[in-house]
Amino acid sequence: MVDRFCIIEPKRRVFLECVVLQEMRVSRSLEVWKMGTINYLDALRLQEQLVSNRKAHKIPDTLLSLQHPPTYTLGKRRTDHNLLIPESDLKKMGAELHYTQRGGDITFHGPHQAILYPIISLRDIGLGARNYVEKLELTMIELASLYGVKACAGQAGETGVWVGERKIGAIGVRISFGITSHGLAFNIDPDLNYFKHIVPCGIANKEVTSLRKETDLVLPAEEVVHEQLISCFARQFGYSNLLWKENGLIS
Amino acid sequence: MASRLLWASRAASYLRISVFHRGFSSVLKDLKYADSHEWVKVEGNSATVGITDHAQDHLGDVVYVELPEVGAPVEQGSGFGAVESVKATSDINSPVSGKVLEVNEELNDSPGLVNSSPYDKGWIIKVEVTDSGELKNLMDADQYSKFCEEEDAKH
Repeated sequence: MVDRFCIIEPKRRVFLECVVLQEMRVSRSLEVWKMGTINYLDALRLQEQLVSNRKAHKIPDTLLSLQHPPTYTLGKRRTDHNLLIPESDLKKMGAELHYTQRGGDITFHGPHQAILYPIISLRDIGLGARNYVEKLELTMIELASLYGVKACAGQAGETGVWVGERKIGAIGVRISFGITSHGLAFNIDPDLNYFKHIVPCGIANKEVTSLRKETDLVLPAEEVVHEQLISCFARQFGYSNLLWKENGLIS
Repeated sequence: MASRLLWASRAASYLRISVFHRGFSSVLKDLKYADSHEWVKVEGNSATVGITDHAQDHLGDVVYVELPEVGAPVEQGSGFGAVESVKATSDINSPVSGKVLEVNEELNDSPGLVNSSPYDKGWIIKVEVTDSGELKNLMDADQYSKFCEEEDAKH
């Protein structure tokens, strides 16, 4: 960096060097909330509040790490033709159905699926939707690789993370005033039968899979996998300073 | 990398040395721009609104556009609709306040027009402007170009 400015008069050069080094040293903070199992609507209400707070600069970039009880959700396009059974049947099996404002098609969330909802300002880091979603894909690809699973991003129109022709991670995001909500869902070991009642993500003839099915390794406790997912996210997005929050307390 | 280029160009312009600029997204001269990457073309009392080339490039392929109702009020800086691309819905904010006169129905069947022709066939709404004084809150083409460069240099 130094030789780029050596042609400028000496006093200016010292000033410019100081400013450049300052820029490089600024660390980015991420507040991580570990929430356990939380109902979909409760999580949605929380996200709405956090987006509003983030927009008003009251909170830093925040990441929610959680899982949901059995829940089916639809995106803004309301593609309920991809729900293959009546809503009343869902209730009988103890699952909820929610219409949301996120992008993407129908999907299922449930126990043993790791979910991340980042509430971050894309404007502060100069990212657009496409780059943001790519980094979410890379987050899950990196996690899968920790277990020897070679995952990759989907081809055009098939956003998500795939192992061959089988989908292991889904994405559905909302961006409002440059602040993100909703996020990603990574299948550690959910009951894949729940996916039989939908055309997952509107893509027919492709299976859904999980880390359990794809890896030869023994999986550690799920909390470990959740923390690894969080670390992958932090690395992808360049957060050097993580503030952990459990049960409402910052630790 | 991009931020070093920005520093180099700033240093160079200070010293009045010419610097090669790599190509950026297109920006049209006669339009006004909001910092949420929408453009507006004002003709008398009515204004046409869309999203910029920079915006469509950063969104990816648009698969759906949520349009407001004709007659709905819009407010400068507030959302009036959304686009979906790569499984992300992004709100679109109005650069002007007023009432929706017309929406581009073509986008229902061909949402990709937003990508292929963001300033022409990909227009989104036409608005009857209530307060033309608000236009001073917007950027002109040069200011917007600079704004995009600075935003892209952040990562």
